[in-house]
Amino acid sequence: MKGYGLFYYIAEAFRGLRANSLVNVLALGTITMIMLIVGFFLLVFFNLQSSVQVMGERLEVSVYLKDGLTEHEKDFLLSRLKAEPGIRKVTYLSKTQALEVFKEELKGQEALLEGLGENPLPDSYEVNVDRSYAVGGRLEALSNRFSGYPGVEDVSYGRHGAEVLGGLLRLITYGGTAIAVLLGVSVVFIISNSVRLALYSRSQEIELMQWIGATRGFIQGPFLIEGMLLAMLGSILSLGILAGLYFALPHEAALFLSHTAGFEFLSLPVVASMIAGGGLLGFAGGMVSVGKFLE
Amino acid sequence: MIQLYRVTKYYEGVPALRDISFSVEKGEFVFVTGPSGAGKSTLLKILFCAERADEGQIIIQGMNAHRLGPSGIPFLRRNIGFVFQDYKLLPHKTIYENIALALKVVGTPYGEIERRTYQVLKKVSMEKKLHLTPPKLSGGEQQRVAVARALVNEPQVLLADEPTGSLDPQSGREVFDLFREVNMKGTTVLVATHDWETVRKMQRRIITMERGKVTDDGKRHVQWSLSLRPPADEGPDGAALRRGEP
Repeated sequence: MKGYGLFYYIAEAFRGLRANSLVNVLALGTITMIMLIVGFFLLVFFNLQSSVQVMGERLEVSVYLKDGLTEHEKDFLLSRLKAEPGIRKVTYLSKTQALEVFKEELKGQEALLEGLGENPLPDSYEVNVDRSYAVGGRLEALSNRFSGYPGVEDVSYGRHGAEVLGGLLRLITYGGTAIAVLLGVSVVFIISNSVRLALYSRSQEIELMQWIGATRGFIQGPFLIEGMLLAMLGSILSLGILAGLYFALPHEAALFLSHTAGFEFLSLPVVASMIAGGGLLGFAGGMVSVGKFLE
Repeated sequence: MIQLYRVTKYYEGVPALRDISFSVEKGEFVFVTGPSGAGKSTLLKILFCAERADEGQIIIQGMNAHRLGPSGIPFLRRNIGFVFQDYKLLPHKTIYENIALALKVVGTPYGEIERRTYQVLKKVSMEKKLHLTPPKLSGGEQQRVAVARALVNEPQVLLADEPTGSLDPQSGREVFDLFREVNMKGTTVLVATHDWETVRKMQRRIITMERGKVTDDGKRHVQWSLSLRPPADEGPDGAALRRGEP
């Protein structure tokens, strides 16, 4: 078809949005709420992901040595620890240094150490590992291997750190995806209803356009763009509300949430994807109704 | 221009058109007449691809309407202007917008829309009312606007289904005058009507239908009346003349 391009369709879509303003405002409100939930999930997801990343950088296994090991035995153990794949750094911590660290951590409550007598802490190697160990129980497997090495008394690792966080991230990924799919379907449903009402209100005009030689594309174009605009507008509004809530968040709460990494707002590509994704859902919703109506 | 060969159409098993065959030459003016339920409107709808024939072939301007897919129908309709009994004007749009819509759907550049809309409205003497909406016009004026809309894309064929059915005699005559003007400029016109008075006065080819069948095709009669000489095989008191009686 010659003559009209996207601008004609957009202008017609805005005309349609104005013509059914009440229905569209209601649809817009619902879509905004839905996209707000999606945005909230994305906000939590990306912040949790960055926390896992930061914790992954600090992923450590403490290998406690038996008392009375010779220097030669300690060096041999060190070389075996370093031989494992994905080991970033191994630091030796003597029992004296360990006690200093412990005292530092208990600062202000030194009374707890009174009567301790001889230093009970063992010498240890602090093994800093690659963050690929944060998933799938790899850290536990590594720790089990370390336990079998000669001269090793015990092994401990941050089970409640990165692994727990990694698990939570997985939960949010899968759970969030499932919820996002459901919410996405809801957006498609709402848009398709809204576009259907618009189609019915203009059925006389559509029928006439068919009589006078309008192609399917010419008829459906404005309705698809109408759906797309509605969903994109809903996404933008929800992002606005989310940003408002984010910036209104008390500083203490932000600090509490960001003990490992800064609690950040959604990045620009995520914001753009959310708007574009909303647009696609709106387009799909429009397709559902227009397809049925014109057939 | 238009050829129908053994066209049959059923509605829920009941035949609405039965074995219809005829052809219309380029530039012809043809009336399709017959009582209500004769199949006139169904015939026009089939020509316009609003209905599909169950059997037979329909060729319009070289396109086989019977085999035309959904994507091809709009392009066939762009070459056919259609005038409805109930005008089918959009009540909330102005006369100008109603006409301009027909130009927009075929992708006419914006610059041309205004000029062509005004021209066609002038042709039907409605150019002074272009800012009014259809409910503010009389029936005759609305039908003139509907004719203007059908003509604005300069179609090769004009179909009209009972175009004067809702009009007073004077308005009806004005509409038929418009059809005659259009036809004189080369557009093929096919009008379904039971306005016998006009049909008789206009002295054009008449296809008579009854119960879904063509009972008479006055093509030969028209040729005879134009040449004022009866064909050798048909006397002046033949079937074609009887058809002219009310």
